[in-house]
Amino acid sequence: MSAAAGPYGAPVAVHQFIPTLNPHDATGTHTLLLRDILRQAGWRSEIFAEAIHDDLAAEAFKHWMYPDHATDGDVAIYQFSTSSAVAGYLLERDLPLILDYHNFTGPQHFAGWESLTEERATRAGVELALLAPRAQLGLADSGFNERELQRAGCRRTAVIPVLVDYGRVSALPDPRVAAALAALKAQGGTDILFVGRIVPSKAQHELVKALWAYRRLYDPLARLHLVGGTSSFDYLRSLRRFVHDLGLSSAVCITGEVSDPALAAYFSAADVYLSLSVHEGFGVPLVEAMAAGVPVIARGVGAVAETVGDGALVLASADPSYVAAAVQRVCADEELRRRLTSAGMRRMVAFSPDAISDRVVAAVASVAAP
Amino acid sequence: MAASEPEEVSTQDPGAYVAQVMAEIEEEVRLRRASGDLPPKLERELDELFLAHSPVAGRGGDLTEALRMVDAATFIDPVVPVDSQRAAGAFVKKGMRSLLLWYLGWITHQISQFASAVSRALHIVDGRLKDLERKVEVQRVPHAGVVEFPVAHDPAAWWVTPAIGALTEVRGRILHAASGDGWLVRQINQAGGDAYGVDPRPDVVERGLLGISDLRGEDLADHLRATSSAGLGGIVLSGMVDGMGSGQREQLFNLIATRLAPGGTLVIHSVTLPTWEAPDAPYETDLSPGRPLRAETWRHVLKQSGYEATVQSGPDGADYLVTAVRATMSPPEPTLTQ
Repeated sequence: MSAAAGPYGAPVAVHQFIPTLNPHDATGTHTLLLRDILRQAGWRSEIFAEAIHDDLAAEAFKHWMYPDHATDGDVAIYQFSTSSAVAGYLLERDLPLILDYHNFTGPQHFAGWESLTEERATRAGVELALLAPRAQLGLADSGFNERELQRAGCRRTAVIPVLVDYGRVSALPDPRVAAALAALKAQGGTDILFVGRIVPSKAQHELVKALWAYRRLYDPLARLHLVGGTSSFDYLRSLRRFVHDLGLSSAVCITGEVSDPALAAYFSAADVYLSLSVHEGFGVPLVEAMAAGVPVIARGVGAVAETVGDGALVLASADPSYVAAAVQRVCADEELRRRLTSAGMRRMVAFSPDAISDRVVAAVASVAAP
Repeated sequence: MAASEPEEVSTQDPGAYVAQVMAEIEEEVRLRRASGDLPPKLERELDELFLAHSPVAGRGGDLTEALRMVDAATFIDPVVPVDSQRAAGAFVKKGMRSLLLWYLGWITHQISQFASAVSRALHIVDGRLKDLERKVEVQRVPHAGVVEFPVAHDPAAWWVTPAIGALTEVRGRILHAASGDGWLVRQINQAGGDAYGVDPRPDVVERGLLGISDLRGEDLADHLRATSSAGLGGIVLSGMVDGMGSGQREQLFNLIATRLAPGGTLVIHSVTLPTWEAPDAPYETDLSPGRPLRAETWRHVLKQSGYEATVQSGPDGADYLVTAVRATMSPPEPTLTQ
């Protein structure tokens, strides 16, 4: 599909705005992939952000630099995932707006932990309420997110999954990390993996409880790998103390943020991917785990069931004994593993950028046309 | 746990297969619990253990509880642990501890003293705050809620047509509060406006959402604070200001002054005092901290704030409508020659 012409005949530009452009998070990856798709479709497209990770300094401009690039007929896509000054910046401008909604973790999930993050989440809710009615089109990663957009007052919506870069999990595993994980595996025991920021809404403490129960009931050598950075230092501190008090310090590995090759090493060493988050608007790591051929078990909150389809065991609760039994079943039942991983692979194909790009282009063209 | 027979399940449809697996997992849990392998009490203790490490605010944000934890953390132990996973680690650490103990002891003693002094001061603050809270509680002025008169807050009411007429030339979004189920929002939009509603009663908003998407169940002042400066072309207030106390009313109008665009229109519907005090008035009138202003008072107040206001009285004198247009520029500064 070729790009639509603007009012003066020149191609319309479709620019993206994002709070923070980060190479290691789902929204940042989605934004970069979408920029490439928009350019391939013939639109001029740049990324404008409030904050830009050093590694991506050449890929984007600060949002306040937009006037230097503005032309008549521009269309803005706002990647909404948190509160940001960019929201107010767009509200003050009369640009045709596409709201690409990735959901945000509500303030109730931070209450009592991080007051600043709680405040920020509250502001995000207000910004959504102000932006949604202004948007010509709302794009949602999932039906769950679409319903939130509609409740916020978005009049026209479409579900288009987040663009996932499978290169992260198919990269050559970091040899040092892979060797360390292989050495652990040689001692025996199941390797359980979770990838995501260490924040209360991801409920890593529930994973620790499940590990404790699993070791007590089924596999005393089992390990839990928690991969991901944190923005909630109180929660991380509490989690570490909890792990220590349960005597699990040598069984729980909290890695912090890791490189793509290291992430690939963790996925290839994992026996099972386990998510007990209390809130997920989509859950990119679930899809990454399916792409890596790791069987997935997840608590069915938010959009999780929609994202995993029949490619995962979806649990109704995070009750430690229940989760432990589910992990044991997946690890011990070859037929179940085979079914989950092959269904996961089919699911992954449905979320590949190739399968989604035409839908994205058609949706954007419905707004970026004269 | 016994895995299902592969031959048996491979032909099953995926949904039935997963349902069977989940049922077997639940049965496994039931059996484990019945056998006493993992008593529910242990699972509860896990929860309590994690809770013990959560920050104070995670358990209610109580200052007294916070102080209890501050007190517990006030003492700093200069005797550092010497356990080590390396062969000679513990020996080395023990040696270092012996060498440094006199120094660390001196430092930690001072830090502990400082922390105790801060803790004592915080206890005094806690006591005084509790005292203040008790005194303020009895003097608290309640916030006024929405007071709706069935005849006045209705699509067929006399004031609806002139109110919509006053908003036809408005540029930008029009906010109606209290919007109820969106009855006026719908009429303004049908007349070509771009209206949305705010109402602090979530149950009423929920009902309205069936027919109209742009209703917000939130406090009007909170909503205005989150709205961009001069971001509204029109504001309609009905059932909102009549029962407000003077402080709440002033706060609201200060917010409106910054959120309504220059040239924007403010429409206020209010009942008169006799209607408010009539025996059949809604019970909320008795519970509200304030009473309705006279129409002429509104005109005077709005003129002083830089609005051009007109007043229309209802046919039976039960209510009135104030329409005010905000000046497009600030009113001139008074001078000595005026």
